[in-house]
Amino acid sequence: MSDKLAVSEVTLPSVRSRRRLLHPRTLWAYLFVSPAIVALLLFTIGPILFTLWVSVHNWNLIEPISQMPFVGLENYRYLLTKDAIFQRALRNTFVFAVCGVGANTVLGLLGALLLNTRLRARVFWRTLFFLPIVTAPLALGMMWAVLLNKNYGLINNLLGLGGLPTQPFLSSPKQALACIIGVAVYQYVGYYIIIYLAGLQGIPQEYYDAAAVDGASSWQSFRHVTLPLLRPVLLFIAVTNTIGALQVFDIVFAATTGLAGETSGGGPANSTMVVALHMYNTAFKFFRMGRATAMAVILFVIIFVITLIQLRLLRERT
Amino acid sequence: MRKQTLLVLLELVAMLLAACGPAATPEVVEVTKIVEKEKEVVVTPTPAPVKLVVLTHWGEESVLKPMQARFDEYMKLHPNVTIEYQTVTFDQLLIKITTARAAGISPDVYHFYNLWMPEFVKGGMLAVPPEEVVADIRANYGAGSIQAVTYAGQIWGYPTEVNTYQLIYNKKILEEAGYDKPPETWDELKEMACKISQVDASGTVTRAGFLVIPGWDSGVVHPFLSLLWSNGGEYLDAEGTKALFDSSEGLETLQLYMDMLEDKCTDPAISWGDFPNSKGGMVIMANWWRATLKDTFQDGYENVGVAPIPVGPSGKSTATLQYNWLFGVDNGSKYRDEAWKLVEWLNTPAKAGEASPIGDFLTSALGAIPSRLSDQKALADRYDAFLQAFVDSAAVARPEPVVPGGQEVKTTLQTKIESAWYGQKSPGQALADAAEESNRILEEKR
Repeated sequence: MSDKLAVSEVTLPSVRSRRRLLHPRTLWAYLFVSPAIVALLLFTIGPILFTLWVSVHNWNLIEPISQMPFVGLENYRYLLTKDAIFQRALRNTFVFAVCGVGANTVLGLLGALLLNTRLRARVFWRTLFFLPIVTAPLALGMMWAVLLNKNYGLINNLLGLGGLPTQPFLSSPKQALACIIGVAVYQYVGYYIIIYLAGLQGIPQEYYDAAAVDGASSWQSFRHVTLPLLRPVLLFIAVTNTIGALQVFDIVFAATTGLAGETSGGGPANSTMVVALHMYNTAFKFFRMGRATAMAVILFVIIFVITLIQLRLLRERT
Repeated sequence: MRKQTLLVLLELVAMLLAACGPAATPEVVEVTKIVEKEKEVVVTPTPAPVKLVVLTHWGEESVLKPMQARFDEYMKLHPNVTIEYQTVTFDQLLIKITTARAAGISPDVYHFYNLWMPEFVKGGMLAVPPEEVVADIRANYGAGSIQAVTYAGQIWGYPTEVNTYQLIYNKKILEEAGYDKPPETWDELKEMACKISQVDASGTVTRAGFLVIPGWDSGVVHPFLSLLWSNGGEYLDAEGTKALFDSSEGLETLQLYMDMLEDKCTDPAISWGDFPNSKGGMVIMANWWRATLKDTFQDGYENVGVAPIPVGPSGKSTATLQYNWLFGVDNGSKYRDEAWKLVEWLNTPAKAGEASPIGDFLTSALGAIPSRLSDQKALADRYDAFLQAFVDSAAVARPEPVVPGGQEVKTTLQTKIESAWYGQKSPGQALADAAEESNRILEEKR
């Protein structure tokens, strides 16, 4: 009896769920969501799995996939222990991300605080800050490559007019990465200003009034009212900006490959080489798709871990 | 009810699969033409329509139209053939070829850099040319060009433009400095470069006596190899399995650059593109640059001089590097025979003593040197002193070694040479690291 009971306890829910699964309504529901599921599998999950699979093979993109030799973790081992350019690219990417995210976070907040005051021609300033974000990064990178040219760039002309020594900027291994970070901040800070602004305008005025009644100074209001209430916005900015910064490609490519695209980019002497650009060169210039996809996987893991840490840290505080 | 639902589901899946499949290809209907001949009715089959896709990197307006005109002429002669002419920039060409191949939409004919040949051959991309094409190439092209389009004992396509490197100099700048002829040795090169360089009060080089071409693998490595060979050194061993540029001759070559950098006779921050602005006195560059120089110098073009690569202290005579481009046919092309016919027509003179369509295009539109010897002869009257010097340099030119991994080795050498230029490594260390890395690449790709 007890055995029968046990069986019925186990089987009843599964029978019920199977019935529910095969119910015409459920089937119709699956039918309606199936295009989205198929699209997700084909265009999101599929490429991720394919990337993982290629990363443990040697593939030159030309040979049939069925013929690519399996190499296990060799591509990963090479990248992490022998590929000096990849290690340099990782370092540059981290520097770019830390400096870029830091600058965007601070400058974005300062800009938003400024634009949140009763500033004259506020709409004009908002539009001005937002303009670079609607410009294609490639165009922007090329424009800055010209502006920062050592010999005929506008910036050096201005420095010359001010009696300051000209700078090599993108031609110098010591200055090139800083220039690229500056260009990236110039492009994206307007976007973060708008996000911060939306967050600032969502804070009820009553909180500031209450703080004022309690005798809080402007700094105290900012420290104890604005900042805590902006944490969800800060979380969003930190996460999205970090992901974008670690995947940087377009600005570096445009600013360092020359107007005719004749150079490999990432120069001078790999001083601006970033992971995505090295990945691109490895895949399409050196016919090493396996190694390039291994880089993609490593970058994915890094971004995933950093994002998890950011979410955890900022969520706890929020 | 359940059956009905399943049937509907199955039907939908079938429809989805059908929608994702390739579009139905209309059957080729063979058209026949009836020709009346002296009351006799002769039925001659009209050739089936053929569509050929041709890909090159000649996309600028000035070269696109002349090339299209050649294709129009071919289509006029062969009414059943339609040619779709696609162009991309040089930096996108390899990506376009490989990704199109991976996607199964390869062009039928492509024009490509010979250094990519080993990977293309390994991937089974290239169609073996017909015997008559191979015979034509063997009979009508120089040994260097034949070697440049040969890999694994097989010729893979028609050699088109040939490029060599020479010392290009600004005659006016040299004359102003008291030199009436270009340098012939490295000592003279250094001396002249330093004399014509200009440095401002802050110590910044404002005019480089000798220009380098950083950031670009060919721009760094091709002039380096031309100097290395002119110093009696070697790039790779005969089998293409070992790097030899880390020799004493190689070190002398890199030291030449280092000396000029140290003495502020060159500066990587001054671009080779500044040569027409008189911000550079001398540069080692290829003949394809002629069109740009003509455009930018305009009336001052006559001041552009060309000289052989100066000879190094360990060298006996001048040498230079040669590389070629070639027209090949995709192995998966549906119309391989027709594609080869087009390529053959492009590269064959219509009459003896005339230039081939591609030879004429290369010389008139691109300002390049054609590989076909009869083209070089037929078009000799169109060469100015600049091009003639490059044509003459073919006698001392050595083809860039076409080996698996050649592109990667070249980029490796470029980055290591640059690390010396920028003071990150000593010249010896830079070359030793480059050789070690190159040997590993050559071993892996073998």
